[in-house]
Amino acid sequence: MRLFWLTLILFSFLPAQNYTFMLDTYTKETELEATIIKRVASASLPQEEIRLFIPEISELEQKVYQKFFILSSNCEDANFVFVKKSVDISSYCKDTKKLILTSNYRKLLSDEKYYGAFFWQKSRPNITFISQRLQERGVKLPSEFDKFVEDF
Amino acid sequence: MKEKFLIKQPLYLIFSVVFISGVLMLLLYGTIKIEQSIEKKMIEISTNDVFTIVNNSVIQIEELLDKEQDYSSQILSNEILQKAIEKKLELLITENIAYTYLLYKDERGVFRFLADGSKKDKAFVNQKFDIDNLQWLDVYKTKESLQIENSYLQELSITHIAPVFRKGKVEMLLTVDFSIKKVRKINQILTMMKNGIITIVIIIILFLAILLFQTLRYLKMRKNAYVDKLTGVYNRNYLQDAQDFIHLQDYILATLDIDHFKAVNDTYGHDVGDKILTQVAECIRGSMRKHQDIAIRYGGEEFVLLIKRDPKETLEEINIVEYIFKAIQTKDFWIQKKESLAITVSIGVNLAPHQSRTFSEAFKLADIALFNAKSRGRNNIEIYDENNHNNNSTMMSINEIKEAIEENRLLCYYQKIVSNETLESSHYEALLRIRDKQGNIITPDRILPAIEGTFLLRNITKAVLEICYEKLLVDPDISINVNLNPTDIINPSIIEILTEYAQQEGIAKRLGLEIVETQDVVRTADGKENLLTLKKLGYKIYIDDFGSGYSNFIYLAQIQTDFIKIDGAIIKKILDDKISYLLVKSVVGFAKEAGIQVIAEFVSSEEIYQKVKELGIEYSQGYHFSIPSEL
Repeated sequence: MRLFWLTLILFSFLPAQNYTFMLDTYTKETELEATIIKRVASASLPQEEIRLFIPEISELEQKVYQKFFILSSNCEDANFVFVKKSVDISSYCKDTKKLILTSNYRKLLSDEKYYGAFFWQKSRPNITFISQRLQERGVKLPSEFDKFVEDF
Repeated sequence: MKEKFLIKQPLYLIFSVVFISGVLMLLLYGTIKIEQSIEKKMIEISTNDVFTIVNNSVIQIEELLDKEQDYSSQILSNEILQKAIEKKLELLITENIAYTYLLYKDERGVFRFLADGSKKDKAFVNQKFDIDNLQWLDVYKTKESLQIENSYLQELSITHIAPVFRKGKVEMLLTVDFSIKKVRKINQILTMMKNGIITIVIIIILFLAILLFQTLRYLKMRKNAYVDKLTGVYNRNYLQDAQDFIHLQDYILATLDIDHFKAVNDTYGHDVGDKILTQVAECIRGSMRKHQDIAIRYGGEEFVLLIKRDPKETLEEINIVEYIFKAIQTKDFWIQKKESLAITVSIGVNLAPHQSRTFSEAFKLADIALFNAKSRGRNNIEIYDENNHNNNSTMMSINEIKEAIEENRLLCYYQKIVSNETLESSHYEALLRIRDKQGNIITPDRILPAIEGTFLLRNITKAVLEICYEKLLVDPDISINVNLNPTDIINPSIIEILTEYAQQEGIAKRLGLEIVETQDVVRTADGKENLLTLKKLGYKIYIDDFGSGYSNFIYLAQIQTDFIKIDGAIIKKILDDKISYLLVKSVVGFAKEAGIQVIAEFVSSEEIYQKVKELGIEYSQGYHFSIPSEL
């Protein structure tokens, strides 16, 4: 009889993986995003230790990003800024020549404060830098980033 | 109970675990394969139509364009054309299709949007688009539509890429991204199917587990049913079930009987008897070859041994029988811490059981050899010999007698005892007979030697008592004498039967008990007491064969006998032998003084009758008056 119950319990574990997502908050997408930002920031500031500032950062983002970066609580202390939300970056950063990356392609096109954008297009990660703004900020990206650079 | 069984039988446990693990692995593998196969099929079915529509859209787009000019330049330079294409792409959008867009690859190899029919996340014209998978480039090589499964994109399941050709070259890509909703629905169906399959398999496994458990239990029970609990060797059930499957040519057959086992039981009690049986069985098992030879407790103190033969060598099997024999002979059988007994056995061997038609016949021959071994004074091995067999073939074997009792083939013949004065019949003496399977009547001289000293003798007494009791009930005008063995008098079950019969009115007076004179009865307090009890119940006591053995007048007085039956061997010689005549005369004289009536046996002629009458003997029995027959 004991063998019977043991077998039954073992079987009940089979579909358990369907329910494990209930235990952990989904972080995969944010982790992918942080990895990409890390590569972009490192390529943009190859000699420097990256101190990242994300305005109005959420708890989940903070949890994920701090695995990859030293997070700054304000723009002044940071050498790299990633604007994820619809915020007015002017109220956070006075230095317009700071490396500021946006998650909105439209903002990249319209606002010269941003030197590049990382955004999700058709559910796929997309990166775009504007050549002139890279030059203005003295950023020399490695050749593998060439396909992301646009001459507007 | 079950756990203990599995611990004792680890092979069963290992087998069960391997079996269940195997079934689980198969289940897992099968479920994954089925799931993959069904998912693929369902996606194929649900997307095929869309692919056809997309291909049609490609044709429609191609129709809008001038094949002589570069397609991307045409669209980029003509907003109306671009909007028209976008309108067509918008038509493709459904609940399950997230995005439709037209791309081209620029001179740097970067993909850019020409038109986007998507309702959300709409791209700008000529906006750069980073592809997530290098498989996209395969379309340019294969020039065929391509489906990519987006395993890590959270919102998308499948991307369908259809090439748009100009002059045989792929110039644009019409791309359709299927949302995850479709796959989710398919997965829901699959999950239901998977759960259904798992439930069915669990039920099947449960049934298999129950079947396995029941099979193991059955095997265990069958093993228990075949093993004698006391001795640990096989029992008679095993022999009965297996005898048809035993290849007699592979074995020699021996029957083994513990000598004087009854005396051990009677002297030391049944507990000691059981100890002896257990130790004898251990000795047999210890002397046999494991997994080759078979020991069976046939019943009581009798064992059957099947010794595996080596076709090339006969001696070895006999050596094993001798080894068993000597091992028992030399072993001390401990019945208490400091007390041991020497036990011997008699063994009958049939070296060629395969020459018999059946196991029973082969067994009978071994039994005859055993009987011969016992006849020769016990404590020896007798090999069945065809020549010897002819001399003993008229003797019944123990097993034949057992069968006869079980099949109610025991009967009684009756011989008259007549009054010498009136020549009228006063009593009958019941004489044992067995009707064999062919219908022949077997007399006691062919029955009793085989069962002397065994428990069968007592069973025969009981059977004869029952036959006579029923005869007395049927015919109230006759009296019958029954022969009892001295040991019957000290046997509680016989006394109990007689006590019960005495409750029936008139039975005790008409049922005489003939007992062979022996010291055994008077030696024991029980014997004397039981005889007096039987007398009180109304039974008449007859001392049978008086003068043949332990003739003691004091003994007659002690047991207060009612009749003396003078031994036939003395009566036979009464006419010619003076000593016999004087012996009978003195016995009669004593009997008259003691008030005991006398019966002369073997009165076979008128002369003997006249002589016994002259001596004052009251009754006669013999062929002169009647031969034993059925009543």
